[in-house]
Amino acid sequence: MINSFTLDWFFITLIFSAGLYCMLVSRNLLRQFIGLEIMSKSCLLGVISVGSLTGNLALAQALIITMIVIEVVVVAVGLSLLVKNYRLTNSIDIWSLNKLRG
Amino acid sequence: MTYHTLLFILVAAAAITAVMARSLLLSAIMLALVSVGASLILFDFQAPWAAVFELSVCAGLITVLFVSAVSLIRNEESKVKDLRARFYAMPLVIAIVAVAAWFYGIPFFDSLKNCALPGGRDNSLGSILWDIRRFDLLGQVLILAAGVFVINSIFPRRKKQK
Repeated sequence: MINSFTLDWFFITLIFSAGLYCMLVSRNLLRQFIGLEIMSKSCLLGVISVGSLTGNLALAQALIITMIVIEVVVVAVGLSLLVKNYRLTNSIDIWSLNKLRG
Repeated sequence: MTYHTLLFILVAAAAITAVMARSLLLSAIMLALVSVGASLILFDFQAPWAAVFELSVCAGLITVLFVSAVSLIRNEESKVKDLRARFYAMPLVIAIVAVAAWFYGIPFFDSLKNCALPGGRDNSLGSILWDIRRFDLLGQVLILAAGVFVINSIFPRRKKQK
């Protein structure tokens, strides 16, 4: 019989691989962000799962709150860069971000 | 099958749908569903503060940001030539990962479980957040200020032409 912790981490692996696959195959900048969000959700679930296993739930919650704040700032700054890039180049294709190649 | 496992299945299914959806709006909504599922899992782990944060910020604010970004770039959405075949191949890739994780990951996670040491402290969230990890709060405030500064410099206020 598989215990709860192991089954949790099995699903966390699946969620992480879905986000990683999205970031690997997509050329759309917004989809890259969605992949990043999915990966960060799986990490969040991993932190709380380990916190529950070791009896450190309060510490895990504090880390998750820190993580969520950083995640929001990353998404807000990333999306604003995306919109600005769209206004300048009229494209959200990640392959069009080659103006800084020197 | 327990409620806990069902929530994990819901989150995994929503994540796969968010990746495979053709429409960006549907992807953003599925991402919100992932956040809602994650917050329900946090409630199930007896972590209400993190769950409330997750529900209000990730399922609320980040979804609003994504939907507004999708509405701003709507004309461009169909022009990016993503190879759809790669997305249609995703269930196969996930199935391969699932089989590999079942045979190789589960023994590894079992060994991790056996290595886990019980936590020494049993403090409340308030004491950890405000006393033990006070330096994290300083970092959070600095990161928020940096984010506000970056957005302000990316979208400067237009000056009125005289």
